[in-house]
Amino acid sequence: MVLEIVVMVKQVPDSQEVVIDPVTMNLNRSMTRNVTNRADENALEAALQIKDKTPANITVVSMGPPQAESTMIECLARGADRAILVSDRALGGADTYPTGLTVASAISKLDHFDIIFAGEESSDSSTGHVGPGVAEFLGIDQITYCSKIQYEDGYVTAERELEDGTEVVKCPTPVLVTVLLNSNYPRRQTLRRKIDAVRKGMEVWNIEKLELKPEWVGVRGSPTIVRRMQSIKEKQREGKKVTLEQIPDLVKELYEKKIIREVH
Amino acid sequence: MSEFDAIVVGAGPAGTSAASKMASSGMNVLLVERGDPPGSKNVSGGILWGKDLSKLYPDWEKTAPLERFITNKVTGFLTEDSSISIDFKTKRFERQRTGYSVLRTKLDGWLAKKAKDSGATVITGITVDGLARDGNKVIGVRQENDVITSDLVVLAEGANPRIAIDEGLRQPINDHDVAIGIKQVFKFSEQTINERFNLRNGAGFAGEYSLGFLNNGVKAGGFLYTNKDTISLGVVIDIFDLRKDNSTYSFDIMEKFASHPYIAPYIEGGQLQEYSAHLVCEGGIDYVPKLYGNGYLIAGDSAGFSFSNGMMIQGMNYAIASGIAAGETAISAKESNDYSESMLSSYEKKLSSSEVLMDMRNFRGIQNVTWSPLVHEFIPKFTEGILYNMFNETGEPKKHLFEIALENFAGSKYDRKSLVLDLYRMMRRM
Ligand SMILES: Cc1cc2nc3c(=O)[nH]c(=O)nc-3n(C[C@H](O)[C@H](O)[C@H](O)COP(=O)(O)OP(=O)(O)OC[C@H]3O[C@@H](n4cnc5c(N)ncnc54)[C@H](O)[C@@H]3O)c2cc1C
Ligand SMILES: Cc1cc2nc3c(=O)[nH]c(=O)nc-3n(C[C@H](O)[C@H](O)[C@H](O)COP(=O)(O)OP(=O)(O)OC[C@H]3O[C@@H](n4cnc5c(N)ncnc54)[C@H](O)[C@@H]3O)c2cc1C
Repeated sequence: MVLEIVVMVKQVPDSQEVVIDPVTMNLNRSMTRNVTNRADENALEAALQIKDKTPANITVVSMGPPQAESTMIECLARGADRAILVSDRALGGADTYPTGLTVASAISKLDHFDIIFAGEESSDSSTGHVGPGVAEFLGIDQITYCSKIQYEDGYVTAERELEDGTEVVKCPTPVLVTVLLNSNYPRRQTLRRKIDAVRKGMEVWNIEKLELKPEWVGVRGSPTIVRRMQSIKEKQREGKKVTLEQIPDLVKELYEKKIIREVH
Repeated sequence: MSEFDAIVVGAGPAGTSAASKMASSGMNVLLVERGDPPGSKNVSGGILWGKDLSKLYPDWEKTAPLERFITNKVTGFLTEDSSISIDFKTKRFERQRTGYSVLRTKLDGWLAKKAKDSGATVITGITVDGLARDGNKVIGVRQENDVITSDLVVLAEGANPRIAIDEGLRQPINDHDVAIGIKQVFKFSEQTINERFNLRNGAGFAGEYSLGFLNNGVKAGGFLYTNKDTISLGVVIDIFDLRKDNSTYSFDIMEKFASHPYIAPYIEGGQLQEYSAHLVCEGGIDYVPKLYGNGYLIAGDSAGFSFSNGMMIQGMNYAIASGIAAGETAISAKESNDYSESMLSSYEKKLSSSEVLMDMRNFRGIQNVTWSPLVHEFIPKFTEGILYNMFNETGEPKKHLFEIALENFAGSKYDRKSLVLDLYRMMRRM
């Protein structure tokens, strides 16, 4: 049987080019070009590595405006088999809840899926909500912040990076896996595949196709309301260099200033 | 059978023009560009001179992303603390519009879009590795482990033609064949630029300067062009002398130009938006390779089609003209289903009767003049000395102009004979 893999991808402004307007302190997105969210490239690569060993079909799904086409073509040119862009006026201004709902609805329209990959988070909003949200909407298991992802006989095994070590999780499919940024080296697009990708093109789905009502999605379906955006100036913290011999004094000082305390 | 009628490598002005010309005649064309989006790797000053685009897009002056039409052309010499310039303004340029300032990031995107609209398959973000050959015939391109086949390959790689060189289709680059260009773009409001340069209704300023303040024989020119709400400021540096001098760095020359007392006020308060560097093709007609062979043509900077006087550069116009000529040649080749060397030789004939090769031939060796110490050192310093003495009121008895000139000449490193010789060469070649 052919494994069905879905990869969730988002197009984001190139973070290397994002400029902060010195007056308003907001992000100026007008000058930046759009690229594929880097962690999503790692997610796609994780899928492709499974496909290298096991017969599989890879479908990329994205919710976004029409210009996300370049991202979809790029994913096909790296080796995905099918690209679906969910695009609809009604989807504008979505927060993470309706984004998850929309992507989950699109995935549920596919005939079948075994593994869903998402990036750990997006580089422009960085909530890390959407992947787990999709798993919840679909009612399936999830493994988050993963690297070294393998598939064998109906099970996905992945390593989770924790603060004090690594956790190895083994989980039966269907499962959603969120992939760590830089956890692998995304393969390059090739001319051959990109020509085929341009010829094949992407599919565009609207919310009717997903059987979603306009009031469930986009800004109308978003429970959060942005009242104000504010840049926070990082407080300049006091720093101090000490030699090895001075450490006991430093500890004493921190203790007296109540920055650290004793625990038993 | 080949997968494509033609593959074009590079979506600069040359490649997009060739692709558009061929595709609009119904040919099956693939245009491959490594930059994503197109233009992201390209640098021009840049003023697009001439009307070559009219041949492809009659309404280009209304639809292309043009910044300003040039009505005010300044040519000058800068020394350490002085500026001497000829300031030419004419209402005629307002009517004729012979030059427009452009920004490549926008222009190349538009050109690629036009090629796509003409029917070409445009692929970005991919670098072509080389050519595929069958004997002495080019049959397509190589990329990673694949070969994409075509009856014709048009190489329009720009000033650093790796493929043409690696495949032995042209001579490698010499220090004398290229200069290095550095460019900065500063953001202002449209109104600020209008006020600073005394411009109205979309008119623009194009200033080019010889930088007479450099040491150790290093030679460079500078340019300042107004765009709608940005200023392009850059330098073009002769590599040969730069390489010999270990104490001068290219970016320092850029800085010195930008902070020159008579340049700095123009860009004061501007926000730096772009900083780029690129090779400039300078080799003249002797740097032009064989332009065609079985299954391939070379166009634009890759073919050395660029004209420079050490301050201003023309290349985009020749790139477009040669791209169109390559396209026309390909169309005839397709009609007779013959992509042989002898068929494709009509490309060179077309260029020979157009401004592209005529300009290059007429100005053979101009780079020896434009990059001479005469232009970049002697004239700026000599003229500055004369003007200073002439206009300066010291209370001392006045001297005749000839006397002042002689004194200044004595202070320069030139001997009389080589001056006369260099001046003669300059007059003949310019
Ligand atoms: C000005 C501004 C204000 C915002 N305010 C809010 C707010 O108040 N509340 C709120 O909840 N959100 C808010 N957002 C976030 C915005 O709605 C999110 O961009 C969007 O919902 C996706 O979340 P994310 O970018 O954090 O993705 P993450 O959850 O960080 O992304 C994780 C992974 O999910 C997948 N994914 C993410 N987005 C998509 C997509 N569109 N299609 C397919 N897969 C995807 C990718 O695999 C990605 O790597 C705001 C954004 C902006 C720019
Ligand atoms: C500082 C500076 C100032 C200039 N000022 C002016 C000016 O004012 N007016 C003027 O007319 N000219 C000017 N020029 C010259 C002008 O920029 C060039 O002559 C012109 O760009 C040549 O066009 P082209 O299409 O031949 O090459 P390019 O514009 O260089 O385009 C070549 C394209 O090929 C792509 N490419 C290369 N190799 C590959 C590959 N293997 N695979 C895929 N893609 C590839 C490149 O990414 C590039 O997009 C200036 C140049 C410089 C550097």
